[in-house]
Amino acid sequence: MNFRHVTGGLGLACAAWGGWLLLQQPEPWRIAVWLGGAVAVHDGFIAPLVFAVAALAAAAGLRLRGVPRAALIVAGSLTAIALPALLRPGGTANPTVLPLDYLRNWLLAMAAIALFTVVHAALHAALRALTRRADRGA
Amino acid sequence: MRFTLPPGPPVTFKARLHDARTATAIGRWLGLAMAVCFATGVLSHYLQHPPGWLADRLPSRPYWGYRLTQGLHVASGIAAVPLLLAKLWAVYPRLFAWPPVRSLRHALERISVAVLVAAALFELFTGLLNTFQWYPWPFNFVPVHYAVAWLLLGALLLHVAVQWPLIRDHFTRRSPGTLALPAADGPDRRQLLLGVTAAVGAVTLTTAGQSVTALGALELFGPRSPSHGAQGLPVNRTAAAARITPASLADWRLTVHGPRPYTLTLEELRAMPQHDVTLPIACVEGWSKSAHWTGVRVRDLLERAGGGADARARVVSLEAAGAYRVMEMGRLYAQDPLTLLALRLNGEELSLDHGYPARIIAPNRPGVLQTKWVGRLEAA
Repeated sequence: MNFRHVTGGLGLACAAWGGWLLLQQPEPWRIAVWLGGAVAVHDGFIAPLVFAVAALAAAAGLRLRGVPRAALIVAGSLTAIALPALLRPGGTANPTVLPLDYLRNWLLAMAAIALFTVVHAALHAALRALTRRADRGA
Repeated sequence: MRFTLPPGPPVTFKARLHDARTATAIGRWLGLAMAVCFATGVLSHYLQHPPGWLADRLPSRPYWGYRLTQGLHVASGIAAVPLLLAKLWAVYPRLFAWPPVRSLRHALERISVAVLVAAALFELFTGLLNTFQWYPWPFNFVPVHYAVAWLLLGALLLHVAVQWPLIRDHFTRRSPGTLALPAADGPDRRQLLLGVTAAVGAVTLTTAGQSVTALGALELFGPRSPSHGAQGLPVNRTAAAARITPASLADWRLTVHGPRPYTLTLEELRAMPQHDVTLPIACVEGWSKSAHWTGVRVRDLLERAGGGADARARVVSLEAAGAYRVMEMGRLYAQDPLTLLALRLNGEELSLDHGYPARIIAPNRPGVLQTKWVGRLEAA
């Protein structure tokens, strides 16, 4: 018996408890479909999309590193949490539910990230040119 | 017929950073976010549906307790979104491990990881959609989100136990496993982790305004905004949804049951000693907003009905139907001097959507238990 056995055993017990609770639900197979569907959508669509973007960038001669990569991570994450507000069909229970202009806010966020990335790249290039000139002058 | 395995995996990955150090560095923060999310979620579950033995022991203080814990529940869940996606990116090539199954132990390990990934994606997805009041699935959100939370906790603990040697060897930048990785990947990995950190900050800052009023100006994607709502407060269930009309309240009386039952008109309620409290409405969906309330102390009403100093309360709303039409209030809530049958909100008479003519406001409780359109109070 060590830390790993205790933790693993506790994990099995918690998972079994959760599984038992799920089996008490009407038609648990419907829940299983959504659990499996979550993995299928991630592994079969979201992840390949990310790798495809990286592969396309590489094919175009772009190395997605540093700030541009961070910008894509931030933009993707913000899009993920904004998507429900952008896609939700039907009316809301009352005007205080989803009261913001989410499409405008999402566009603003994407524009701000793009602007930051471009300005950063321009500053970076300018700084490099300056140091190169200073080096040559010295 | 013999089935032979192709010699190599269908997909290979050349990209860097799909290593144990990256997975550990992100996994530590993801594990922390999930631990906070689980603990606050279970707490909320028991506050909202307390078993009998617990009901009278639930504390009414600190008055901001539920606002904090449920705000943390939703914020840690949102923060976990970029962390989970980054963690899955780091380990994605392992999905194509070749051969797919090496041994029984390997098969069990892969099944447990599949359960972990499924439960994690499911919890974040259903939780996020719930905050937007969007329910596209064919099951009941509350019990299923709760059950899968236990499945997730279990699969996560098992995962930590199985992977412990790898986690320990890559826990810090100077751990032996980290040092064995290509040194050139170090700066690149730190930049990647900075990017993920920036994403966690961005999703937190653009949503936290729904519960942290000071961050309201930065709120871009929260499903609620504290600045929207009649009398300075958002609404969940409207009078129309509860089938409450001004006409249905024309002969309103508050009935108080107990050893000495009585009824009060609104005028008589207003003539009783009034108290001012500042308490938040904190919804299970994560949004919260503080407000000023004026009304009669629930414990004064219970005492007048002959309820003792340890009386608990049952509160019945006038709404025709609804899961929370009858609300049980444990002893510590009922006897707290901050717990009011409120008649006024932010200096005005309650609006119909906020529970006119009288509603409950109590400290440290989920919003659905702050019963609106109260018609009957029972000392028990």
